[in-house]
Amino acid sequence: MLLARVEGNVVATRKHPSLNGWRLVICQPIDKDGWAEGSPQVAIDSHGAGMHQEVVISSDGAAARKAVGDDKSPVRWLVIGVVDEHEPGVRV
Amino acid sequence: MKLGTVVGRVTLSRSVPALHGGRFLIVSPFAREQYERGLDAPVSFGKDPSLVVYDSIGGNVKQVIGYVEGREAAQPFAQPTPVDAINAALVDEIFYSPSK
Repeated sequence: MLLARVEGNVVATRKHPSLNGWRLVICQPIDKDGWAEGSPQVAIDSHGAGMHQEVVISSDGAAARKAVGDDKSPVRWLVIGVVDEHEPGVRV
Repeated sequence: MKLGTVVGRVTLSRSVPALHGGRFLIVSPFAREQYERGLDAPVSFGKDPSLVVYDSIGGNVKQVIGYVEGREAAQPFAQPTPVDAINAALVDEIFYSPSK
């Protein structure tokens, strides 16, 4: 799992059928201070993560396949939650 | 999934039987700066090395695609297949606005 910031989204008409109806968000992995680390990753999102919101993304392919409901899907990264606080009482 | 520009193609006259009929693209992974430049920018190479990606949806040279790396890339195949990168989407539009 990686801490990441949502920095955009991708539109694709021609794609694996299992991705139909899913938001594809561009997630930039970040460090604890919010600085970018490495290159962006495109994840599927069912939580409606907004622009510049911090999220946690997971590379668990089995869970992602379960989410899209297709055993033959190549999907790997999914947004598993939206970050509220890094420490108790301090909202991001 | 990561984004990358298709910079070439590969054909195999001899291959593992499971791969017969597939197409193979040479893809240069997008660096962060290329996300900012979007799809209309001239073809450029990021700092990451290019890789060969299995393709069954018809990606072509100069197009931007979304490809999946890892074990999941072999998931769409009925039989065990030695594939670790697959084209999952042909990108039409990118909306990108980095904050810092």
